[in-house]
Amino acid sequence: MKIRSESPDATREIAALLAAVSLAGDLIVLAGDMGAGKTCFAGGFAHGLGIDDRITSPTFTLVNTYDGRLRLHHLDVYRLDQMHEALDLGLAELLDDGSVTLIEWGDVISPVLPSDYMEIQMDYDDDDELVRTMTLVQVGGSWATRMPEIAISLEKWSC
Amino acid sequence: MLILGIDTASPQVGVAIGGHEGVLASFHSARGRQHAETVTPAIEFVCRQARVELREISCVAVDVGPGLFTGMRVGIATAKAIASALRVPMIGASSLDLLAMPVRHTSRRIVSVLDAKRGEVFTAHYVSAPGGIQRIGEYRCETADELVVELMAEHENYLLVGDGALRYRDVLSAVENVEIAEQSLSMPSASALVQLAHSHALREQWVNTWELQPLYLRQPDAEINWQERQ
Repeated sequence: MKIRSESPDATREIAALLAAVSLAGDLIVLAGDMGAGKTCFAGGFAHGLGIDDRITSPTFTLVNTYDGRLRLHHLDVYRLDQMHEALDLGLAELLDDGSVTLIEWGDVISPVLPSDYMEIQMDYDDDDELVRTMTLVQVGGSWATRMPEIAISLEKWSC
Repeated sequence: MLILGIDTASPQVGVAIGGHEGVLASFHSARGRQHAETVTPAIEFVCRQARVELREISCVAVDVGPGLFTGMRVGIATAKAIASALRVPMIGASSLDLLAMPVRHTSRRIVSVLDAKRGEVFTAHYVSAPGGIQRIGEYRCETADELVVELMAEHENYLLVGDGALRYRDVLSAVENVEIAEQSLSMPSASALVQLAHSHALREQWVNTWELQPLYLRQPDAEINWQERQ
């Protein structure tokens, strides 16, 4: 599923709608280059979970945790070099404590990810610097059943 | 000889002190705050209750896992710090060995099954041996289904022990001749650690602070390939 966001505000709105259908134990992997809007997406997502804190990039802290309707673990693996360092963050425990986990650059650690998650690839548009294309790919079954509902709520951005 | 035992590899924090006379004092809490906030006050409490000064400790034993990453490292770092400060040797013991210790008085094959989260369990097989337990085969990290297949392949009478066995009770009890040990035995204990460490200490099987390593089991060697991604 492909969607087109015209602005950071739209990206936040889209993220909040995805947060609304998130369930405990969900994992969302954010892929895309520097500046593609991953942290912007995370901010909208957190807001959608009812989290009021300002969301900052966890590039240096590696993991930030916030409490909302569901607890949110926000990870960034950009500084990691080895797969095992992702496990050193306590990934198995974070993914199994009834919260939702967002991992920026998470596509690079796919060998150590569970078999069930949503990957969102964020890409620039060559013609308009505010526009981003987001490609949603569900891996495993847990998101598949929610895709029809997601398709309806994101319809106005679909492309 | 006095041994201080620290175990934070499971959701439980455990601290015990003991030696030739057995365990003198112990503390276990499965509902503490973060491991890091509980373990140091627990050490002070146990020392006070055993009427032991920290400087009298002659060996620090620690559960080296496998277990919960964050917790494990709190325990290992604390144990190493104390051993370094006191300039005493250390003894590392596996959480799976510690689980098997209290249930060793059985003729069944003991299988320690710790919850590794994300659908996986850490496992090891044991038989009772004079004065302790003997491990059969390797420590493993596998799914509950893989464990079922492994158990079915050998027609033993099994005693499963650990929080992983309780979590996956439904699939595991499908195997014939399986008994699952109760909740009160489902986490490694610091008392078992002190007991096990004592028998190691008698044989002078200790390690230096800098040699002691955690046992992760789930440790892919691969480097993250940032170039290929671009």
